[in-house]
Amino acid sequence: MDRNRILRFLNQEYILEGLLILILGGVTLWPLTRLGMEILVSKEPALTFFKETLVEDPSASRAFRNTVDAAVWSSLLAVLLGASAALAVALTDMRAKGLATFLILVPMLVPSQITALAWKELVGLFSGSGTRNPLYSREGVILVLGIEHSTAVFLAVRASLRSLSWDLVEASRVLGAKPFRILRTVVLPLILPGILAGFSLSFVAGIGNFGVPALLGIPGRFPVLTTLIYRKLNGFGTSVLSETAVLSLLLIALACVGLALRATASRSLSARVSGHKTEGVLFSLGKYRILVEVGIGILFLGISLLPLLSLARTSLIPAIGVPLTAGTVTFRNFRFVLLEQPAVMRAFTVSFRLALLVALLTTVIALLLAYLSEVRKRPLARILDVIADAPYAIPGIAVSIAMILAFLKPLPLLGSLYSTFWILLVAYVSRFLALSLRAVVSGMEQFDPRLEEAAQVAGAAMWRRIVTVVTPSVAPAAAAGALLVFIAALNELTVSSLLWSTGNETIGVMIYAMHYEGNSPAAAAVSMLSVTIVFLAAGITSWLGKSLPKGVIPWRA
Amino acid sequence: MKNRIGGMVRIAALCVLLSPLNAFAQASGVLHVYTSQPMNQMAEVVKAFNEKYPNVKVELFRSGTTEVMNKLEAESAAGAPKADVVLIADSIATTKLKNEGRLLAYKEAPVRGIPKEFIDPDMTFFGTKIITTGIMYNTKLAKKVPSSWMDLLEPEIAKNTIMPSPLYSGAAVIHVGTLVEQPVFGWKYYSTLAERGAVATQGNGNVVEAVSRGEKAYGIIIEYMALNAKAKGSPVDFVIPREGVSVITQPVAILKTTKNLAAAKAFVDWQLSEVAQRQAVQQGYYPIVPTIAPPAGYPKLETIKFLSADPAVLLQKDQQNKKRFAELFGG
Repeated sequence: MDRNRILRFLNQEYILEGLLILILGGVTLWPLTRLGMEILVSKEPALTFFKETLVEDPSASRAFRNTVDAAVWSSLLAVLLGASAALAVALTDMRAKGLATFLILVPMLVPSQITALAWKELVGLFSGSGTRNPLYSREGVILVLGIEHSTAVFLAVRASLRSLSWDLVEASRVLGAKPFRILRTVVLPLILPGILAGFSLSFVAGIGNFGVPALLGIPGRFPVLTTLIYRKLNGFGTSVLSETAVLSLLLIALACVGLALRATASRSLSARVSGHKTEGVLFSLGKYRILVEVGIGILFLGISLLPLLSLARTSLIPAIGVPLTAGTVTFRNFRFVLLEQPAVMRAFTVSFRLALLVALLTTVIALLLAYLSEVRKRPLARILDVIADAPYAIPGIAVSIAMILAFLKPLPLLGSLYSTFWILLVAYVSRFLALSLRAVVSGMEQFDPRLEEAAQVAGAAMWRRIVTVVTPSVAPAAAAGALLVFIAALNELTVSSLLWSTGNETIGVMIYAMHYEGNSPAAAAVSMLSVTIVFLAAGITSWLGKSLPKGVIPWRA
Repeated sequence: MKNRIGGMVRIAALCVLLSPLNAFAQASGVLHVYTSQPMNQMAEVVKAFNEKYPNVKVELFRSGTTEVMNKLEAESAAGAPKADVVLIADSIATTKLKNEGRLLAYKEAPVRGIPKEFIDPDMTFFGTKIITTGIMYNTKLAKKVPSSWMDLLEPEIAKNTIMPSPLYSGAAVIHVGTLVEQPVFGWKYYSTLAERGAVATQGNGNVVEAVSRGEKAYGIIIEYMALNAKAKGSPVDFVIPREGVSVITQPVAILKTTKNLAAAKAFVDWQLSEVAQRQAVQQGYYPIVPTIAPPAGYPKLETIKFLSADPAVLLQKDQQNKKRFAELFGG
């Protein structure tokens, strides 16, 4: 290879790197920096600023306390549910573990505002007439958040159980320890980092959640930071932008506490004892097996499917308060939302367009970025990787505030993006790039760089190598990543609740609005439609994922 | 000097002569409408408006009345009010804008056939439809069909009653404000309701949901939401109490700071036109023009007694009323 050609390759890489810096700079780095500037540019130190907000604004301090309260208690509930389910599935000889795992993981696929709506319907069926739905309360928010996030704990604990060295269990058994003692003294200490990681994941998700406190907490007079930001911005418009920016930075600070806890947990997780066998039966259930199986089955059927069924029930009645019988069952709500209500149809179009575009864009960006960081091992690309992860790690509402701050002022040539379709697109790309990137990077780790070097020696230019050599080998992982992004974007509510505008409503926003206007059957119908689409997409993802490396699809692993 | 005055008079006369023509010819460009009317209805309104004025591009900001007012406030404070026209639920909010000198008097507005009490005497805002607040009940749970506001005070009924809060709903602001101004009710009425266990929720949507579901047997609510639920089959009905109902008229008004006066006037003209009134009836509202028939199944307008209260008084006592309500029923 002569010098000129080498130089050309290098240049191509520089061009690609420059392009990615521009994209990530525009959609992520600039908005987040702009958000940070809200307190950095003020003369006072940041801490004083937080303190003042919390001391002087009683509604902010109340929301702050409620946020921490709900996140901690719901995470404890999530640990109780998720960890015990993971232990039961991993350590006992119960049957139908695949089915049980599926049931346990269902809440992961259902967007949180739909979970909240479904639980409200379910509890509403049993709470007697003349009483307010008990889920409109602090406890309701904690219960639904805990269930929603139990899946994260389940996955984290399951992962740590899988890396548990079974030799230790066998050794304790030989020494005569009873199963429960082994669980307490051997297994639990070893999977504690996994439990902690699950707890912190659930905590971070809990403080950033908007759908559950919006549907249950606002009527229940249990304000949290996300709903406070939403109500302030909706009520007072962009004049309170810097006030909401401080609140979102508070949220980010809380998220950082959770993320730091998780980082600590996963550090001790990697220091594990290696062994050969990693799975086995600690508890032989014997004659109690069927009892345990039925118990777990009923518990998770109740948690995962019953709420969805009651939501389906509501979508089939003509109006609230009408019992569902053969005579009253109707598809009118579906007809109404699909054919008669232009705003709903538009919301489906907008969400579909957004989800498809975002899936496509994030996959392309992730492919190029992963190529530079994983195959070419360029240090700058590794930094870009970290930047790309940030908007998914922090609460979504903070991302929306960052976007408004960055794009409210008209840009040269583009004008103001605020209250257009484009701000939603930019925000979604920023928020969901991490999902796609994780999938592509796991695919790329299995890619043999020598293949690419061979193509390079054979004279293929960089773009050609990316298209013909790298992309085909990571295509299944990239497709799975794209589907994950599609699923997440289709039902997005947190980011869109602040960025939607007339003509650019998303499905999540539409469900929320219809519910608020007192049209629960129509809200239920839209929810059922979008849940169906999500389950289909998840089915395709699982099918695609059969040959994929571990870690690409979160619910497999 | 005389000549100059004559010239000015002539120019003014010419302007007056040409202005209707101008308004029609120039109704184009972007018109910012801030409204509290539901989004799907506004979509239909804009569509019908554009059939007559195809060159006007209507940009909507839609939210609750309180939020619309906050946005206007914020924009004025920033020195750049974007809105040209407001179409919000209650005359209190509009009176507030009027008192602040932000509304334009539109003397030539086509108000023929509209009852005087629904039009601002200074021609700054005009009612566009009539929305009344009455009593809704769950037909399975209610042991007694109420016929009077006083019926809600019965201990068994009061503890089974839910109402919207003026902190969230513009209709509730008017309703509470109007009722407490009536000597027979006063704040005593609301404090008795509170004592006997009636509760307040957020908006009217929450009331219709709670009564339809049977969480509560009785609700204070605007008529079309209740009648709409009834039409769809919810086990509910609606009554106009015999003392009368409070009324909101969803006034339309032009802001002085409008940058598109021609289109703004066109929008007001259209709102008061028969086409718009018939559309309002289709959407489930009482028309502001009594000669047009109300939606099917609605009590006849002539049979309804309206409780009235001076918007200026309602405005003056607004904060105080909200505070007292919150003290009784929680924030």
